[in-house]
Amino acid sequence: MKWIPQEVETYLNAKEYVDTAVVPLYSVSVGGEMKQSAAAAEFITLLTSHLERQFTGRIVLFPPFTYLKNDSTEKVFNELHNWESSIFQSEFKHVFYITSEIEWRESSEKLKGSLIWLPAIPLEQMSDSQKLTIIDSQVKQLLTLFTQKWHENM
Amino acid sequence: MSKERVSRRQFLSYTLTGVGGFMAAGMLMPMVRFAVDPVLKTEGAGNFIATKQKVSEITDEPVRVDFTFKQKDAWYESEVTNTAWVYKNGDKIVALSPTCKHLGCTVNWNTDKEHPNQFFCPCHYGRYTKDGTNIKGTPPLHPLDVYPYKEKDGFLYLGKAEPRKEA
Repeated sequence: MKWIPQEVETYLNAKEYVDTAVVPLYSVSVGGEMKQSAAAAEFITLLTSHLERQFTGRIVLFPPFTYLKNDSTEKVFNELHNWESSIFQSEFKHVFYITSEIEWRESSEKLKGSLIWLPAIPLEQMSDSQKLTIIDSQVKQLLTLFTQKWHENM
Repeated sequence: MSKERVSRRQFLSYTLTGVGGFMAAGMLMPMVRFAVDPVLKTEGAGNFIATKQKVSEITDEPVRVDFTFKQKDAWYESEVTNTAWVYKNGDKIVALSPTCKHLGCTVNWNTDKEHPNQFFCPCHYGRYTKDGTNIKGTPPLHPLDVYPYKEKDGFLYLGKAEPRKEA
């Protein structure tokens, strides 16, 4: 479910079925790396929205967790940790973070949720149908990852 | 030179009628166009959306067909891609919506190894038979929606998915 009032209402009525939160992680940089930052964000946005389409009935797609790239790692991590504890305090059993920032891989063990790191594919030169095929194949791979995780806790 | 010379009065009245005519036409034409516009519009667009699927290539095995159309969401117009599962049942085409009737996940064909040749929803293990009927004992309570379809120039056109009447 998307982060819009109608769908959040559906979520509130069907809480027992929706047990997974998906949080995209974006880093924002200004200046020279602005473009890479935007490209990575585009990729993650498309991917997560497609993922939401596949798993509408089981996940809530959260608004992205956004931070400044040159902020200290510790500060950013603590902030995300806060998000995580509040999400788990509500009725979510699984949290997935989706990012293309390599830095997160180091701290993935310290998180209770699962971190999915994907290298950003530059999509700007592609036609819409090409984008769709690429994102679709990525989502297919994530599909198994998600179902595995759900099976573990059954 | 012709014998009948055009008088000043005649010349002026001709030019005035001509110019006046043009002005009147310029005003009336858009009005007429606006008045008949709704008639022209319904004729042109229709509610069926073209897919890239050739009708002759549809088999009795469901295939995924994507089709894109423009959707207006408040003031934001975006391209939306929808999917259908399409197969042939005898000589009739069946186009099913992939949206699970439980909570709206996307169902896939034949992905559950324990239950082959069924539509399977990975979210809560909902299952549907090939014709879209929900299987008792799994979460979904209604059969999958069906797209009305048309064939035009050998390609498949799909309309808006409609809920199927309970069997």
